Amino acid sequence: MEVDKLRKYFSFFIKHNTFLLFLLYCGISALFIRLQGQDTLNTLRSGCIEISSFLSDKATGVSEFFRMSEENGRLMKINATLVSRVISLESAVTESRNREKVLADTTIDASRYIMAKVVGRKFSDRENMLLIDAGRNRGIRPNMTVLSPEGLVGRVTYVSAHYSKVMPLIHHEFKVIVTSGVTNTMGILSWSGGREDIAQLEHIPISSPVKLNEQISTSDFSTFSVSGIPVGRIISLRPDKLFYTVEVKLGVDFSRLTHVLVTPLKIEPEKIQLLQSTGETAVEEIK
Amino acid sequence: MTRNIPSLIILFCIVLLVQVFGLSYIRVFNVTPDAVTIFIALAGVTLSQRASTTFGFAAGIVLGIFSENTGMVMGWIMLSRTVEGFIAGFFNIPENSHATTKQKNRRIYNAIIISGLLSGFIVSAVYNPLGFSPLIRIVVLGLLKTLLTVILAFLANIVILKKSLLD
Repeated sequence: MEVDKLRKYFSFFIKHNTFLLFLLYCGISALFIRLQGQDTLNTLRSGCIEISSFLSDKATGVSEFFRMSEENGRLMKINATLVSRVISLESAVTESRNREKVLADTTIDASRYIMAKVVGRKFSDRENMLLIDAGRNRGIRPNMTVLSPEGLVGRVTYVSAHYSKVMPLIHHEFKVIVTSGVTNTMGILSWSGGREDIAQLEHIPISSPVKLNEQISTSDFSTFSVSGIPVGRIISLRPDKLFYTVEVKLGVDFSRLTHVLVTPLKIEPEKIQLLQSTGETAVEEIK
Repeated sequence: MTRNIPSLIILFCIVLLVQVFGLSYIRVFNVTPDAVTIFIALAGVTLSQRASTTFGFAAGIVLGIFSENTGMVMGWIMLSRTVEGFIAGFFNIPENSHATTKQKNRRIYNAIIISGLLSGFIVSAVYNPLGFSPLIRIVVLGLLKTLLTVILAFLANIVILKKSLLD
């Protein structure tokens, strides 16, 4: 009897094994449904979220790897844009700082002058030239004096509508009458090439009381420059037969010049005419 | 379809990964095409009811784990997939049958539609993430899911399954 019963059970299980398996699975599922929202599943839930997040992260990583080339291209474009912006901003900041530096100099009343930016320069051991971004449209005229807070820069020689050419003090054709600050000794400042921070002072007689380290500034005798513009200081004084050989350390550092001021034109045609008609040599070349 | 168990398990894992990390991103009203339903239907038709039920149950566990609301729907997903596998098993074609590819195809599509609809109804009845009314979420979304799955099965049939069914 017992064997028959067992055989019956076995044959039932074998015959309906799929259905019983289905019921077993349904039972397990029902157990999970019953446990839903309870603490037992909360632990499983957090674990599942961890696993899911980890696998999602890896899957995202794989897709990102394939998109890396595209992403690199995009980032390069952004970088290029940002770099150009930074350069542009830095340039604006530098320019603004330079302008403020010129305007902040209390020894110069900048309101009377035209401010300009140095946009081009040509330096050699003989001929130097500056180009500024102010021209006829902004009231610039030939022979106007160009200066910076450090001192005399040069004079305007050629003017176009928007730009002007400036003959700097360190040009072999440039000459200006200057006077020393303490002894009032007058001479003609010129530049004979070589170092761009050293100029020569001519026609200083041996009898002159000129001294070392005296400040030199423009004289009222100048036909183009207003008086009192600092030029530099005497650093070398060597007596010759009749005159001193004087070297002047210039106040302006031409290598770092970014902004300049242009003074209004000094109109003295009568003086120039008189000098020329009386046979006097005009020591300052008038273009 | 091959009867090699390790290959089947590997294929099953691939289908699950595709479903979880690929197809789940294709959503129409929170409904996605279901590659797992296709696999289970295929197992039911070509292997046995027991195999499709087991695959259904296993798929339920994995999909439940990776579902967005694991703790709330995992049991229901397991149940629906088990039912899905069990129903798909009724469309089984015996190994020694002389059914043509066309007949096999028809059986597979039938299995997908019937088992998919039932499975969809079970989950839709208890899980309502978008707050739709019962009619919409059970009937409309269930039908939508079945339709998307049939389209996917049709594409899969063209690309992959045709050759497998000839084996």
